[in-house]
Amino acid sequence: MRMFSSFAISASALTAERLRLDLISSNIANMNTAGRPDDPANPPYRRKIPVFAQVLEMVGDGSAGSRYKGAGVKVVRVMEDDNPPRLVYDPAHPQADERGYVAYPNINMVNEMVNMITATRSYEANVTALNAAKDIALKALEIGRG
Amino acid sequence: MDLFLNPVMVALKKGLDAGSLRQRVIADNIANINTPNFKKSTVVFETLLKKTLGQDSFKLVTSDPRHIGGAPPLDQLRPEVELVERTTMRTDGNNVDIDEEMTSLAANSIMYQATARQLGDRFSLLTYVITGGRR
Repeated sequence: MRMFSSFAISASALTAERLRLDLISSNIANMNTAGRPDDPANPPYRRKIPVFAQVLEMVGDGSAGSRYKGAGVKVVRVMEDDNPPRLVYDPAHPQADERGYVAYPNINMVNEMVNMITATRSYEANVTALNAAKDIALKALEIGRG
Repeated sequence: MDLFLNPVMVALKKGLDAGSLRQRVIADNIANINTPNFKKSTVVFETLLKKTLGQDSFKLVTSDPRHIGGAPPLDQLRPEVELVERTTMRTDGNNVDIDEEMTSLAANSIMYQATARQLGDRFSLLTYVITGGRR
């Protein structure tokens, strides 16, 4: 068994959760990045969502009897929210269409804040797991030191 | 009695192996806390160890570890990873209970340290005997 495999698992989760936090920051920062409605050349910002998937590692040579074991998590892609933009009537806005509407991204602040808390807490849980792995690895080094 | 391959040392060594595997499995469960449809795994070791260690008192004759009452000999004992597929914790199909995982993490860490200390004490005992108590 490789000694640092559980370090790598926790590290993969730290990377994934950090990316999620980055995307949430980006979503909040671009909450008011407007665009012209129904203009593909000038779209509003769209909410970015990470898609998490489990990483599996094969044990054995691929023949019958080989099994998969978990080896962490990865972000397989960053999805863009397909929900229609929020239309705001503001004829003076440079992005307004002929009817006077401006398209704002469909970002719900409460949603983003809740996701941010989840991501932060998950990050902390993974830091705890990493520290526990470190503790037991150091303890194993002390065997036989008298 | 063998100096290093006696049952106590082998059991302690297997315990350390199981502890490090369990650390890995718990880390994987925590890592996938936000992965939709992820199912957690657990490590089965203590029951297997008990079965193996208890077989001296009441032993059925077997020719295969899969026979009824059969248990692998201590040096072939391996912890098993079991996938818990039947439960669901959240609407996204994930069944990781973070409280349970953090508790197992703490327990596993302490258990590993205790086992490591036991093994270390065994070695210091040997050193003590070898040096005739002089160090």
